[in-house]
Amino acid sequence: MTMRPSVRDAMLAAVPSLRAFAISLCGNVDRADDLVQETLLRAMANINSFQPGTNMSAWLFTILRNLFRSEYRKRRREVEDTDGGYAETLKSHPEQQSRVEFEEFRAALAKLPSDQREALVLVGASGFSYEEAAAICDCAVGTIKSRVNRARTRLSELLSIDSAEDFGPDHATRAALSAGGRG
Amino acid sequence: MHTEASSRRAGGRLSREDQRRLGDILQRVYDDVVRQGVPDRFKLLLNELKDEREAGQAQATAAYGQGEVHARGAGRGDVASDRTMDAKGIDDSRRKGPQR
Repeated sequence: MTMRPSVRDAMLAAVPSLRAFAISLCGNVDRADDLVQETLLRAMANINSFQPGTNMSAWLFTILRNLFRSEYRKRRREVEDTDGGYAETLKSHPEQQSRVEFEEFRAALAKLPSDQREALVLVGASGFSYEEAAAICDCAVGTIKSRVNRARTRLSELLSIDSAEDFGPDHATRAALSAGGRG
Repeated sequence: MHTEASSRRAGGRLSREDQRRLGDILQRVYDDVVRQGVPDRFKLLLNELKDEREAGQAQATAAYGQGEVHARGAGRGDVASDRTMDAKGIDDSRRKGPQR
């Protein structure tokens, strides 16, 4: 008997999304990768608690989220790295305009309370339903909906989205100029 | 094209257009990381765990021959995950009944 390929493959398949989620939580690629690694180790140590036939990805997200909250959040001050590790992932982005836009958005995302941020990312990017996100975050569905709404509203305020033009190419150009001015 | 910033401020909710734009860039930022795929460290990690598990399985098989099936993996140090995975092989546990 060997490790079932389906289990290993399911874990591997979840890694890219786990990393994206972890980066959104940590704001730092290195810490996020450590968090993903710890998640995989924890998952394998507790594979007996995984219900076959259920969503492996959701299970791994739950573990990652709990690990982050229990351990990484204690180090929040040092974890908050608004211009460090995450920027590393963006350096190779081929489109400067998008890079600036990404950085601006990521900086705004980092300013959200963590409970709002995780809810928004789970529902808005990771593809989970409100119900799944509620299970991952161990809260009511209504709470997730409320957090997502508050996150969206706060993001729009941070990004000053007052018109369509403000979030298009022109906006990115202004952001690029602004970024250049900041040095 | 314009958004409904004024109605948003009044109602405290974003317009659909604002939500769509926020959702769009959130997805792009997220997918930018997803597209990086699986870094080698995680492939290596899972391979290492698999290898250690297989080694543990060999020990367990020998132990089983001596009537010591419960010795499987026990005391093998820090990779507790490995033996747990080994013991629980998801579908096998259904076919073969409880294994510990």
